[in-house]
Amino acid sequence: MSRHRSPILLVIALFIAAACSSATPTGGGSGAPQASGAAGTLVYYADVSDLISLDPAVAYEFSGVLLVHNAYETLVRFEGSDLSTIKAGLATSWEPKDAGSTWDITFKLKSGVKFTSGNPLTADDVVYSLQRVIKLNKSPAFLFTDIAGLKPESIKATDGSTVVVSMPKTSSPQGFLSILTFTVGGIVDSKEVKSHETSGDSGSGWLLDHSAGSGPYVIDHWTKNAEVLLKANPNYGGTKPPLSGVLVKHVPESTNQQFALEKGDADVARNLGPQQISAVQGKQGIATTQGNSLLLVYVGMNATVKPLDNVNVREALRTAIDYDGIIKELLKGNAKKVQNIVPAGLAGYNDATPFQADVNKAKSLLQQAGQTSVNLELLVPTGQAPGGVAWADLAAKLQADWAKIGVTVTIKQTAQADLLTSYRAQKGQLVMILWGPDFPDPDANVGPFTDYAAKSIAYRNGWDDKTIAQKGRDAALITDTSKRAAAYKDITEYVLHNGPYAILYQPTELFGLRSNVKGFAWNPMGWLDFAAITK
Amino acid sequence: MRFLAFLIRRLIGIAAVMIGVSVITFAISHVIPADPAVAALGDHATDEQIAAFRAEYKLDRPLPEQYLTYVNDLLHGDLGRSIRTRRSVADDLADSFPATFELSFTALLVSIVVGIPAGIWSAISRGRLPDVVVRVLALAGGSIPVFWLGLIVIGLGYYQLGWFPGGGRIDAFVAPPPLRTGLYVVDSLVAGDVEALRSSLIHLVLPALTLGYFSTAVITRMTRSSMLEVLGQDYMRTAEAKGLRERTVVLRHGLRNALIPTVTIIGLTFGSLLSGAVLTETIFSWPGLGRYATASAVSLDFPAVLGVTLLAAVVYPVANLVVDVAYYWLDPRIQRG
Repeated sequence: MSRHRSPILLVIALFIAAACSSATPTGGGSGAPQASGAAGTLVYYADVSDLISLDPAVAYEFSGVLLVHNAYETLVRFEGSDLSTIKAGLATSWEPKDAGSTWDITFKLKSGVKFTSGNPLTADDVVYSLQRVIKLNKSPAFLFTDIAGLKPESIKATDGSTVVVSMPKTSSPQGFLSILTFTVGGIVDSKEVKSHETSGDSGSGWLLDHSAGSGPYVIDHWTKNAEVLLKANPNYGGTKPPLSGVLVKHVPESTNQQFALEKGDADVARNLGPQQISAVQGKQGIATTQGNSLLLVYVGMNATVKPLDNVNVREALRTAIDYDGIIKELLKGNAKKVQNIVPAGLAGYNDATPFQADVNKAKSLLQQAGQTSVNLELLVPTGQAPGGVAWADLAAKLQADWAKIGVTVTIKQTAQADLLTSYRAQKGQLVMILWGPDFPDPDANVGPFTDYAAKSIAYRNGWDDKTIAQKGRDAALITDTSKRAAAYKDITEYVLHNGPYAILYQPTELFGLRSNVKGFAWNPMGWLDFAAITK
Repeated sequence: MRFLAFLIRRLIGIAAVMIGVSVITFAISHVIPADPAVAALGDHATDEQIAAFRAEYKLDRPLPEQYLTYVNDLLHGDLGRSIRTRRSVADDLADSFPATFELSFTALLVSIVVGIPAGIWSAISRGRLPDVVVRVLALAGGSIPVFWLGLIVIGLGYYQLGWFPGGGRIDAFVAPPPLRTGLYVVDSLVAGDVEALRSSLIHLVLPALTLGYFSTAVITRMTRSSMLEVLGQDYMRTAEAKGLRERTVVLRHGLRNALIPTVTIIGLTFGSLLSGAVLTETIFSWPGLGRYATASAVSLDFPAVLGVTLLAAVVYPVANLVVDVAYYWLDPRIQRG
């Protein structure tokens, strides 16, 4: 028996020896194991565990949207980090017209555009792509069906380069144009996609990890839980992207991202916290940058719960909060002070910030409401809030601020899914959570925050104000931009003092970059144009 | 024949364990207060979307019916579809399990190769410096948190020295070998792809050391204590008295007997390595089962959680079975008895 054991040990020893000997040449003294193909490729380290699909009709998660945005073109688009001016994409014109019972938007297509496959992009591809979203009915489809009120037959090609979309009068043409800038409006190569259809899936099985677009990049491969590689699209009609590839590496641990950035293995580190950003700042070869987001972190106050049904109590709670302290101390300046329901960066943003830790005023508001001591429960999610602070720390700060005006708050921390289950059922008292708009238009916030019947945020906080809800619906339909802005100013001003919300801040996104990376412009919708980046 | 009967008994046992585990996991995951539909669809979903989702995943049916449907699908080889990734759970497991297996197996190999000699050395030099050093290192291995150790290892091996890559299974610019087993080392050997073999081996070093430290410590301590016990036995003195070399006495006569408890520990350790890989996988961006399990649990992805649990429920008894077979080989008394 013992004779059998020796060969086994020998094999194990050989195996280890092989590992060591083959490891040494690359490792030994050559510094970081440099990725040999990294020249000309942007290496982007990020936690992309949310990635589900790279199909524009399916992707609705941050990572998916970032990648899809760079592989497909849309009819209209926003440029760089701007979200207020709609620019030409695949369409050269897109004027909405009042057609009696509908809004008709006629899109004239740019000529000479080709897909990666070499197929020309025609009106049929546009109709196929937009109808495909509705037929597949995946996560982002509600933007077309519920928000824009579209049906498959609402989208028609009138000739090879013209597409007409008819929308019901209850939907906002401006809102729809904003939706079309989003990845869900990405135009796919219908011939290519149809050739990969299996059992009526409209090609979504294939598009999960392939691309068939006309954007600056093509999806080369997606290794699940490891990486996605984009390569420059040889048939791209626009300016040729300076970088021939983009490697998005899935690195969930932010310390690891920081190390790789410092070593030069990563060009971009996506998930560094405020402290890590300060740690790398000033180091040779590293630059940091910020990007805006459209998120709002807020406290909802359930107006069906006493004494939160009293508008003065709600105003007192808003007035007592030390917003500046939250932003400067807890978030290290990593957020913008915003107190209205439309975030900075969207049309209709109202920059009024009247509240800041006024204890006397808050106390007198409570007195007016006939309240001297108030006890409430605050529901808080577990984990990190946007901007890099623990939700629990934010909650403790609010608890301390409110204690100063005689409001005692009991903090109840729970997993976000659990919290949402209570919140959706109107079972919260005070609920701290975040909101991001579904599409870059003020209606994506004003609707949910004001319209009780929409069964979204206003409903969850038991705030049924029919006048303001109607004003919100009307504002969405205004096509004149300056009149629309005025309407939103009026609405946000009203909600600021009467609504059941205390908007705490709008977080900023932080990025660590190698200092040779130029042209990095984060769009608040969660994407960036890789084609604008050089290194 | 006796061995076959023993094997069949064990396999029946495994089936029983799986039924038990599936009932318990199913019950626990369905009585927690949060709604998986809300977890999956988030803040923005309408009530209709949530209802449709619940219907799609049969979450609106009574619990026993849900369980029976699940078991029925399971018997047809269908583990269901993941709520989070929208893919078949079987495909997800097939993607992530080999990565974890490769990592855990390498860690175990390191533990055996280092732990057993260290334990023997420590035992034969009891009370002297080597013993003290080994014991201190083993004590540290048992008490250092993996998460912390991983960051130290990566900070040193990758960030400071630059000898090893900072994470992942293979260099991003090296094509993985054509997948047969899903184990990159084996697959690149089969394909004769030297570059992929080199890259996957070097990527294994830091995570395997990190993951393997704890089990090395356990194996070292177990080997040391059983070796000490064996060293005091009469037959050892007899062997020594016969004039055999110390080396022969210790390795031929001592180790064989000392290994039995160690083999038990190795079997159990392999099971815990598989489940303990979660933190190591996160630190080293290792696309394995541990990370899949965590992500699934956080998003209340019940089909995926059940799939992982069932897989673990198979792995543990199988590891134990391997241990029992090893006993059979190590100790002739078991073969006879």
